[in-house]
Amino acid sequence: MGQEKVSLRKEGIGQTFSGVQESRDKQRQEILLHMEGMNKSFPGVKALDNARLTVRAGSVHALMGENGAGKSTLMKCLFGIYSKDSGRIFLEGKEVNFKSSREALDNGVAMVHQELNQALKRNVMDNIWLGRYPKMKGLPLVSEKQMYQDTVEVFEKLGLDINPRTIMSKMPVSQRQMVEIAKAVSFNSKIIVLDEPTSSLTEVEVEHLFKIINMLKSRGCGIIYISHKMDEILRISDEVTIMRDGQYIATKDAENLTKEEIIRLMVGREMTNQFPQKIDTVQDEEILRVEGLSAQYSLLNDVSFSLKKGEILGIAGLDGSGRTELLENIFGAATRRGGKIYKEGQLIDNACPKSAIGNGFALLTEERRATGIFSILDVKENTVVASLKKYMTFIFLNDKAMEDKTDEMINAMSIKTPGQKTKIRALSGGNQQKVIFGRWLLTEPDVLLLDEPTRGIDVGAKYEIYQLIQNLAKEGKSVVMVSSEMSELLGVCNRILVMSGGRLAGEVDADNTSQEEIMTLAAKYV
Amino acid sequence: MSQTKVENRQPADVLNWILDRAMIILIILLAIVVAILRPAFIRIPSIVNLLCLTAARLPMALGVAGCIVLAGTDLSGGRVAGLTGFISAILLQSAGTATRFLQGGQPLPVPLVILIAMVVGGTIGVVNGFCMGKFKLHPFIVTLATQLITYGVYLTVSNSKQVSSLDPSYSTNFVIKPLFEFTVGGIRTVVPMYVLLAIILTAIMWVVWNKTAFGKNMFAVGSNEEAARVSGVNVLFTIVVTFIIAGALYGYTGFIEAARIGTSGPSLGLSYENDAISAVVIGGVSFVGGTGKISGVILGVFMMQLIIASMTFLGISGSITYIIKGGVILIACILDMRKYRTKK
Amino acid sequence: MKKVLALLLVAIMALSVVGGALAEGSAVVSWYTFGDVYLTSVRNALGEAFAARGVKVTDKDANGVQQTQLDDISTAIVSGTDALVINLVDSGAIGTATTLLEKGKEQDKPVVFFNRAVSTDNADAEAMFASYEKSAFVGTDFEEAGKMQGDLIGAYVLENFDALDLNGDGVISYVMFKGDEANQEAIARTKYGVENADAILTAAGKPALKFYDEANASKYLVDLNGTWSNAASFDYMQTILSQYNEPNGNMVELIIANNDDMAMGAINALMQAGYNTGEEGVKVIPVFGVDAVDDAKELINQGKMTGTVKQDAVGMAEAVAVITDNLIQGKDKFEGLAENVRVIDGWFVQIPYAVYTGE
Repeated sequence: MGQEKVSLRKEGIGQTFSGVQESRDKQRQEILLHMEGMNKSFPGVKALDNARLTVRAGSVHALMGENGAGKSTLMKCLFGIYSKDSGRIFLEGKEVNFKSSREALDNGVAMVHQELNQALKRNVMDNIWLGRYPKMKGLPLVSEKQMYQDTVEVFEKLGLDINPRTIMSKMPVSQRQMVEIAKAVSFNSKIIVLDEPTSSLTEVEVEHLFKIINMLKSRGCGIIYISHKMDEILRISDEVTIMRDGQYIATKDAENLTKEEIIRLMVGREMTNQFPQKIDTVQDEEILRVEGLSAQYSLLNDVSFSLKKGEILGIAGLDGSGRTELLENIFGAATRRGGKIYKEGQLIDNACPKSAIGNGFALLTEERRATGIFSILDVKENTVVASLKKYMTFIFLNDKAMEDKTDEMINAMSIKTPGQKTKIRALSGGNQQKVIFGRWLLTEPDVLLLDEPTRGIDVGAKYEIYQLIQNLAKEGKSVVMVSSEMSELLGVCNRILVMSGGRLAGEVDADNTSQEEIMTLAAKYV
Repeated sequence: MSQTKVENRQPADVLNWILDRAMIILIILLAIVVAILRPAFIRIPSIVNLLCLTAARLPMALGVAGCIVLAGTDLSGGRVAGLTGFISAILLQSAGTATRFLQGGQPLPVPLVILIAMVVGGTIGVVNGFCMGKFKLHPFIVTLATQLITYGVYLTVSNSKQVSSLDPSYSTNFVIKPLFEFTVGGIRTVVPMYVLLAIILTAIMWVVWNKTAFGKNMFAVGSNEEAARVSGVNVLFTIVVTFIIAGALYGYTGFIEAARIGTSGPSLGLSYENDAISAVVIGGVSFVGGTGKISGVILGVFMMQLIIASMTFLGISGSITYIIKGGVILIACILDMRKYRTKK
Repeated sequence: MKKVLALLLVAIMALSVVGGALAEGSAVVSWYTFGDVYLTSVRNALGEAFAARGVKVTDKDANGVQQTQLDDISTAIVSGTDALVINLVDSGAIGTATTLLEKGKEQDKPVVFFNRAVSTDNADAEAMFASYEKSAFVGTDFEEAGKMQGDLIGAYVLENFDALDLNGDGVISYVMFKGDEANQEAIARTKYGVENADAILTAAGKPALKFYDEANASKYLVDLNGTWSNAASFDYMQTILSQYNEPNGNMVELIIANNDDMAMGAINALMQAGYNTGEEGVKVIPVFGVDAVDDAKELINQGKMTGTVKQDAVGMAEAVAVITDNLIQGKDKFEGLAENVRVIDGWFVQIPYAVYTGE
């Protein structure tokens, strides 16, 4: 059984380079996957409401929609992780209903999950062949040799330079992502779902991924591509299906689509401006000065800059360039090797987050779900948790005071929540982020350190976050903002520092620079 | 620039290299110290003794190690061994013993009894694994419960009676039968059969862990259960089989121990699982799950025995032995966590 | 930090070595458990007795695990010790005792068992010890303690009958705490502690003692962990007092325990209920134990406890040390034993008990 599969897989990969243009056009006619009338409810939420999707062979089909539009739910129903309430799924004309991931994989449907589901302590090839290890002939034993050869073969075809025996946890996230993609390819699947595959890839790696996708296309695969990044979608996809509130909205040819059109379909209204109008909020007074900051355990090396009151300072750079580490070192969440921090001219220590908070700093972390929200706690508890001392009488907490403050924040930021007692995990990403903003505002900080404040947040909510940041600057608070989205930095910040290889590569004025200039700086020390 | 970096890192790298191997270095140092003070420590009889002690404890450690790889644990081991030790003893008590537990019966064939002991252990393993895999209970609590139940069953069936007079086909002609015999420096030294059995079992477990799909799935489930599930691994099956293997090994331990000690009594198996878990942890099988090697388990059991034996050689009182054992476990865990804790 | 810890460990080991200077003879003593009060008093006395003879002693704790004891003995033999002194974990397990004896016999090391019986049958034990010249057992007649305790109780109850009969029903109700379900001494003490007392009472025309709870056919409460612990008896006693007390007219009038530890647990519960505080005018429920450990003696002298049977820790330690030393020196093994010590059938060295009711 295992033997058979191995030989099948080899053929499949062999085909890829003999893909002929004409057969490709023919393949595009064929409907590979068709889903219709898909419904799925969770307690209190209708996640899918008569959704549908049609994917043709040899095409890339982008699935778009704001967070919570039902994209992932639809895919999980296909993949057998959720069982649908109703609806029909046809794979190559035959009705299917996968009860488990195993069944989906066996029938040629593979998925690269958004949250990388990998056995980190195992090596690369153990992860790729997990659940279908090649056996030695006639023995119930795994053939390591076969596994190694097969892995090398897959990597060669995909042009990946990864040692199959590397332990997963020792590799950067981007490489792990590529391994996951290679795994999906190795199943020789007809349908491959890629859920936000580029979120942790560098530019070069994204290009690489696109090459792989094109190769798979030429093999006649149908690729379902889920992403928030418009430029990518317009570049790579053939067709785009847009969903909103669990419903099917439209399927269009990518050639005839524009960003604006997609956004309009996604949010259901015109979005003329992605960013609020910039206003000059920078004051003359210096609030923060960092001199020669270096980290003990990460590559951050000798970074100096200063920040003015009311200024929004952007930090650009590639993943792993030390952006997050810079914020963590200022905030005392990482061990410093050297460097001084001055606030309003005074030398401060910020030895640990507690002392940083005392000094008027706040840090909004990158991984909202992992290190931002307390998912099982409610909105009120999430809001007041960083400023509990203020509601304390002796050792008792004053409920009324906490409720008032939470209300204040909900109103000030128009957080959409059924109430204070709602568990925060029930809110959308954008609203969760606003709650965390509220949490930090209650500590009355002077300097807000924001790490990817709009990651995984849908378009409408992003705008509100930008407005919020601008309002804070207007009040005289200073903001340091790390982002991977260059347009966001250009649209919101006054000034942008570019990091590269753990060092400061340069500084640009946000109004008089270009993406090209920033990219050049970002590559300076790579 | 990069030059200075390298220089800066070198001492740290050396320190890391040492810390990664601190446990083994410490043990070697200890062995050297003991050997200098008490030369008998590194003579053949003493080394064979260490070998025997390690062999006796290895099977249970191999069993519990699988459960720890799953990011779980298993507390039932000792009492399972107690029960199967009793079963082995009554089935293999000499015929014609006046106080024979099973009046008037004959001893069964030894291989059949090994099988029975392992099946009984495996059955308890099914309960452990099923409760963990199916009902998502923490194995600590599941196996604590089965530990109590197993002990209760043992007490009820045995009525707390000691079973001695084991048949020679079981003890002197099998488990403790001399495999090799030699005399060194006036001391007759014997390598008994159970050492060979332990080596065979260890070899089998090495193949299971490293060369079978089941073994690889076990590590994957321990490392990331969800990843294993979406890759099409039958997670429940993997967990249950891991516990069955563990249970069977405890069953085997009971069979061996009753013959080694010469009696099955209520204290047989008491706290064996603690020794096994400690040894496994010292051997680098992490409670984090998904990591561990058979060689580590062997090393862990060996180190534990080496430490205990050193205490006897040095004439250190039992009270101090506990402090040292506890300290070693603690240090081993601290060193182990170093590898998984990312520093900021 | 880790380095410091590591160094510390090595230092501890090195230091303990320096402490143990080489003596003329050496013995390894494997104890059933370090956690037992009486055994600890024997351990202390034995340490002194061996030191007085120039024998270096290493104490090992089997902690109630027979396997540990077996392995400690194996290691002790290869470490080159001159003698093995064993306080058997599984009391009465002749199979285990034989395994241990054989290990010593193979290497011609003297093996001395003490305190915990090697067999439930004296004939088996005699055969085992007869098989190896350099061996002996130092213990007590395991029935003697119970018999002595029973005689003591019978005499005391007879003398104070009316005062003890709190509800005036003409019968004395009692509780019996058993240390371990399967232990031979516990079984004998549980049996004779009541039987011998009853014999004295009935001979004097008084009714026999009555177990406080008629529904309990076994007529004792046992430490389920088999550790003869005061925790077990304390818990039992508290439960009893909530149901059986003076206002209900069914107060327990006599408490018998297999050892002093359990007796003290019961006294603790009684004191919390306002009995046996030793103060003027406070009622005392008589409590009897076995062992005469120091704490129990003090309680007796304070009037909180009534009596105990003295197991002679020093006498036992002395006998063990004498025999072991003789065997190491190659002398006659029973040479120089104290006068009150009996040697039976050439293997069983019996240390007599004595009654203790205060000074």
